Amino acid sequence: MSVRKRVDRLLDKGVGPLFLAPSVLLLVVLLLGPFIYMVVLSFTDLSYALPGRDGNFLGFDNYRRLMRDDPVFWESFRTTLTFVFGVVSTEFVLGFALASLLFHQIQRRRFVLTLLLIPMMLAPVTVGLMWKLMLQGEFGMLTHYLRAAGLLDPQTALLGDHRLVLWIVMLVDVWEWTPFVTLVILAGLLSLPREPFEAAIMDGARPWQVFRDMTVPLLRPILALVALLRGIDAFKEFDKVFILTGGGPGNATELLSIYTWRINFRNWDLGYGATSAFMVYLVVLILCAVFYKAIYWRAGGGQG
Amino acid sequence: MTRAWRMAALAALIVVLVIALTPYVWLFMTSIKSRLDALADTPVWLFTPTFEHYPKVFLDKGYLPMVFNSLVVAGTVTVLSLAVGVPGAYVFARHRFPGKEDLFFFFLTTRMAPPISVVVPMFLLFSYVGLVDTRTSVILAHSTFNLSLVVWMMRGFFEDIPREIDEAAQMDGHTKAGMFFRVLLPIAAPGIAATAVLCFILSWNEFLYALILVAFESRTLTVGIPGLVTPHGTLWGQVAAVAIVATLPIIVFTFLVQKHLVRGLTFGAVKG
Repeated sequence: MSVRKRVDRLLDKGVGPLFLAPSVLLLVVLLLGPFIYMVVLSFTDLSYALPGRDGNFLGFDNYRRLMRDDPVFWESFRTTLTFVFGVVSTEFVLGFALASLLFHQIQRRRFVLTLLLIPMMLAPVTVGLMWKLMLQGEFGMLTHYLRAAGLLDPQTALLGDHRLVLWIVMLVDVWEWTPFVTLVILAGLLSLPREPFEAAIMDGARPWQVFRDMTVPLLRPILALVALLRGIDAFKEFDKVFILTGGGPGNATELLSIYTWRINFRNWDLGYGATSAFMVYLVVLILCAVFYKAIYWRAGGGQG
Repeated sequence: MTRAWRMAALAALIVVLVIALTPYVWLFMTSIKSRLDALADTPVWLFTPTFEHYPKVFLDKGYLPMVFNSLVVAGTVTVLSLAVGVPGAYVFARHRFPGKEDLFFFFLTTRMAPPISVVVPMFLLFSYVGLVDTRTSVILAHSTFNLSLVVWMMRGFFEDIPREIDEAAQMDGHTKAGMFFRVLLPIAAPGIAATAVLCFILSWNEFLYALILVAFESRTLTVGIPGLVTPHGTLWGQVAAVAIVATLPIIVFTFLVQKHLVRGLTFGAVKG
């Protein structure tokens, strides 16, 4: 019995490391390994398409090329920034409006919310296909009605037009992700205490004042979280745009992820491709650190 | 609110719902339309339904194995991530050790890591060890983001369990491991179920890793669908049929986990 107890005590001590080790190990092998390999690759000229380029050390040549001699990368960077700021701000405004609307709609809230969730739960590939079907140039349902309403001339296809296409792609993203912003902001609104609001209204505050001076400041941490989460996700966007346009026409919708995909898996320029992939990773890591700080801020510096 | 306001709000909600749902309804209608109706110049809303696309694409074109692949991948990923991640989450919730929050941050970065950046070196490493075009490669890739999702989500669920329960269990003579398996896991079961469903959805819906890592035999459903879209003559009826089959289980699952969705999708930062 006492031996058993001693064994038990020993096991108790080991539970922490024993329980944690597998997950750390798996992530280190599957993520840290590739990460290091990517950094190594970015200093080489490895290519599967060109002869003689089998991983010779290049020093910082790839980075120099990226910074100075690759206008396409920077155009892609600009496109990505436009996409991220465009969709996140639009989703924010619409999501806030919708959340306020649902906040006051007590009876049918749950039902409406459940239906609203459908766009964001579908596989992004399906979302891309659905919209491709509706925006199709010859028989697309939306194309037809837009033309019938005189908003679109018969020669233009929405996904084939240089100036329009990025906005269309952004619109699809807004359609997909506004429900997410709505859902989280609504959860925030529902968690706010009621008394201060009732007191303010009793004191004769106007609805706009209540919104500006109470709702927004109280929700600020949650708003920051949503903005960051959506920002990171939008920065990584690949699936929908890949299906809808493949980055085209030209490179009008070539986001950084699609650019990186093309360099690696179309041109098979893997050394340079790793450099580009590393850049994307870096931006996400920075945003990630900000997100983590934001969680701390919300918890008042306590447990995240 | 006045009556007029209430009517306006209701009308606005109806408009929003119509916008949110029409694309999916249209997709479903396309999946049961004849080719002629699907390609009509004027959109057709009323038609005689046909179910010819479903057997054609799943049986004749061999899309059924992809459903199987998706099921195996998503199922295995879910079990693996939970088995590895839930005990880890428990340690984060209950134990103190130096560097804990830094390690937790490392888990977050793995959840957020851009797939395009991870998949480039992963593809090369996997091809060196002969893993490319196997279901295992996709399972490993998907468990990276799902494992950290499990750890982040389950830590919150474990922290919701009052510490008095741990103390009572230890008074009853449970070892720490025994307490975890016999006392805490049953209490956390609803949280585990919600996490499992979310893991399954994320893996089932994933596209980029699967696109790069598998080419033929082990293709999952999401990778298979775009294969039906060709520059010359896409069979939209069949595309829609596959897309409907790929999305219906997800919609059912969404209804099941709706309550925990906010928490899962905000990494536990907002408790819905």
